Amino acid sequence: MSKKRIIFIGLDGVPFGLLKDLAQKGVMPNTKKVIEQGCFRKMFSSVPEISSVAWSSIITGKNPAEHGIFGFTDLIPNSYSMRFPNFSNLKAEPFWNLIEGPSVILNVPSTYPVKPMNGVHISGFVSIDFKRSVYPLELIPVLQEKDYRLDVNSEYAHKSFDLFLSDLNKTLEARMDAAMYLWNKYAWQVFMLVFTGTDRLMHFLWNAYEDEKHTYHDSFIGHFRKVDEAIGEISQKMRDEDTLIMLSDHGFERLDKDVYINHILKENGFLSFQDNTAHLKNISGDTKAFALDPARIYINQKEKYPRGRVSVNDREKIITDLIDLFQSLTLDNKKLIRKIFRKEDVYHGQFLDVAPDLILLGEEGFNLKGNIKAQRVADRSIFSGKHTLDTAFLAVSGSFEKGVVPEAPCVYDIWGLIREGLEDKKAKK
Amino acid sequence: MHNAKCTCWNCPAINLAGKVDFRACGQAGAQFDKKADDSQETHIMAECKRRPDLGLFDPMSITFEECPEWQKTPYGYLLKNMRVMILGVDGYLGWTLALWLGRLGCQVSGVDNYNRRNWVKERGAHTVIPISRMSERLHAAKEVLGVNINFREIDIYEERDKLKEFIDEIKPEAIVHYGECPSAPFSMIDVEHAIDVQRNNVLGTLGLLFTMRDIVPESSLLKLGTMGEYGTPLTGRPLFEGMFPADAVLHWDNREWSLGGELTPRDPVSFYHVSKVQDTFNCYEASKYWWLRSYDIMQGVIFGVHTEEVSADPRLRTRLDIDEWFGTIINRFVAQAVLDIPLTLYGAGQQIRGFIALRDAMECMTRLLASPPEPGQYAVVNQISGVKSLRQLAYIVAKVGRKHFNLPVQIQRIENPRVEADIHPFEALYEKLPKQYGFEPKVDIEEEVRRMFELLMKPEIRARIEEKKHVIIPKTWWSGVKREAQRIELINLEKEIKEDEERAKIFMGKK
Repeated sequence: MSKKRIIFIGLDGVPFGLLKDLAQKGVMPNTKKVIEQGCFRKMFSSVPEISSVAWSSIITGKNPAEHGIFGFTDLIPNSYSMRFPNFSNLKAEPFWNLIEGPSVILNVPSTYPVKPMNGVHISGFVSIDFKRSVYPLELIPVLQEKDYRLDVNSEYAHKSFDLFLSDLNKTLEARMDAAMYLWNKYAWQVFMLVFTGTDRLMHFLWNAYEDEKHTYHDSFIGHFRKVDEAIGEISQKMRDEDTLIMLSDHGFERLDKDVYINHILKENGFLSFQDNTAHLKNISGDTKAFALDPARIYINQKEKYPRGRVSVNDREKIITDLIDLFQSLTLDNKKLIRKIFRKEDVYHGQFLDVAPDLILLGEEGFNLKGNIKAQRVADRSIFSGKHTLDTAFLAVSGSFEKGVVPEAPCVYDIWGLIREGLEDKKAKK
Repeated sequence: MHNAKCTCWNCPAINLAGKVDFRACGQAGAQFDKKADDSQETHIMAECKRRPDLGLFDPMSITFEECPEWQKTPYGYLLKNMRVMILGVDGYLGWTLALWLGRLGCQVSGVDNYNRRNWVKERGAHTVIPISRMSERLHAAKEVLGVNINFREIDIYEERDKLKEFIDEIKPEAIVHYGECPSAPFSMIDVEHAIDVQRNNVLGTLGLLFTMRDIVPESSLLKLGTMGEYGTPLTGRPLFEGMFPADAVLHWDNREWSLGGELTPRDPVSFYHVSKVQDTFNCYEASKYWWLRSYDIMQGVIFGVHTEEVSADPRLRTRLDIDEWFGTIINRFVAQAVLDIPLTLYGAGQQIRGFIALRDAMECMTRLLASPPEPGQYAVVNQISGVKSLRQLAYIVAKVGRKHFNLPVQIQRIENPRVEADIHPFEALYEKLPKQYGFEPKVDIEEEVRRMFELLMKPEIRARIEEKKHVIIPKTWWSGVKREAQRIELINLEKEIKEDEERAKIFMGKK
């Protein structure tokens, strides 16, 4: 086994710009050291730019049509029944199953339910049952003693930001307590820890980051300060020969309005429902296209769906019509859609057939959603932050060759970095 | 099929894995505090225990019609090899249902502590249709019908741990709870019996609810209630099915309130009925607190001896009691008619009751099993197929006995040992089973009574009735007095029938 070790810190959703800003302002001094010592780059997320897809890509080095995860939701094949893909549905091996040495994997999103592996694995969101979130099971009492929480309780944010922020910080503290316990207790080759509270915080309080007079501005900054302290604690424990990879899975920006893709499809004659009841299972035989969250558009193709209408020959025509429609849309005198991806252009692999036919990327401020019951094109909500595709970050420091980091990295490149960083013979095969 | 559009949301084969809020990147909720909200961004995730390959999915999206695990039967789609546990499987209803469901392909397990056998013995009575020991019954079920019943002798109150173990072993997808003492007079004998009934019924059921919470929260509970919970309000207020309908309104003091969805008033008429009312509240609350699914089945007067299964072999017959404690009225009337004892009406004999035949009750139970309530839903059905006064029921028995068996059947009124209204209006609603569950009564009351006469007039059974005829006339008074109720009058049948038809028009409301 190689003596090289990799310490892998994930900051869910943290954008390049915010990290740079807080590092420069002195809020995140430890982070500043990390990004100054190594290389620090903007990184592309996955398509779509959501955690389940991005983290699945990061840990496997594969694209969605290879690992099979296209979103938090998907359809059971040949049906309009919604399923929620998880780690059991991941069709590519995570890196920890491909390297020689043991790993400690803590709080990586979309890795629930855990499976036996070489090391320790505590899954991140969406984790449901504690017992199925922890491997080995004997760690459960230890974690309970440390008041470990799988996730912050976002319900609090709908009741009180004070409660939410308190829970956010407690969750972080308990996570770090558990992380340090595992760091010391186990011999490992890769130690991977993801901080996910950052994503929750930015969803609810991005406006508090941008607005220094916002009631919760200091609380927002305070949480990042705590994250930085954690990064400092970890950095201090590193050995000279260790490599630190720090990254986010997607970026964030201001959210002005939620935009409902299915409503647009309905209004423009692409989508209708049996009995006029808006539910996936009621999609009518007249439907040409429908969307799943966040903005994955599926052509209602014959022989693919129970009431498929579009023949293989007509598919291209519908796609062209949809592209024309979405390219022309404006809201509040602003262009609505920044980019439209065809699946053939962004995916490759054995699951290409079940991939969404088109994936939309919203313009700045517009948060695209697949909500099928929406009654209007756009709406405001409690959320003030949304994901971005092209502003994730990657920082690599420590013992590694700078030349291995791509100039314009994306989430699919991380596995390659791990492999190089470890000089792992098994992995290199 | 009445349940074709039910979804996995109703199915006991799912685990409700969690609630997820997708508004902020998939936030798992710890509590199932509500169904998926209208925004469709909060989802409840389910896992299918039978089809694990589905992974986590939206339980609202697959219908019974679409699911290969739900298969067509004459009573709706039924879960293939559904695991059904029957508490009180040795009883009149329990045994009959066990065979019925076994024949339909269910995996039946059963629990009994033989209380019923012992209580009937305590009264010095016996079942007039002989039944054998459980081991022989089980053997016959296997031999004649190919039905395997996994039986365990357990007292559900005294041996809660044993019940818990058995439930854990079987993991039933539905639990039919017939394991209660079903007798009003038994609960009124004395303090010891009243307490016994409360303990067995109320505490036994309460323990069961906790066990379900801990082990099989997805399983549906079909618990036998009784129409007697409602009593017979003298105002003639309709007896809704457990809850007030959405448009029910309370007017008072020039103000008004909606009553929709609230439990309707209960007015029990014995400590036994009180125990059933307490069960109602316990089931209602447990469903609310723990997302259990329960049916409270307000069954009317049950009668009859026939289903295809119990009639398949003498060893498969279900018990039939005629004594004052456990004999239900029509069954008792037929036994009296067979012995030329005038049929006994208590008091005025104008009490009005809902009734249902044994076979029809089995079909209703199957339809309810096939359509489990939603998680957290406490649902109520009034399980009756018709409504008649006790006089009318007596007339039917008399008519059949005279016409087909040449028996000189007479009817008598005796003192009423109970405290109850014996002349009262009665408007019971029983629309859910026909409208929501596709039930149509199949048994003609006269035909079933004729069948009962045929069976009860067999010499060996007639002899068993003769042997115990002294336990038919009631001696158990609600007041605590112990003496035989005395005859008030013999009824002039023809004259009374005519008069009764007139009374019925007045008292039986719209239904």
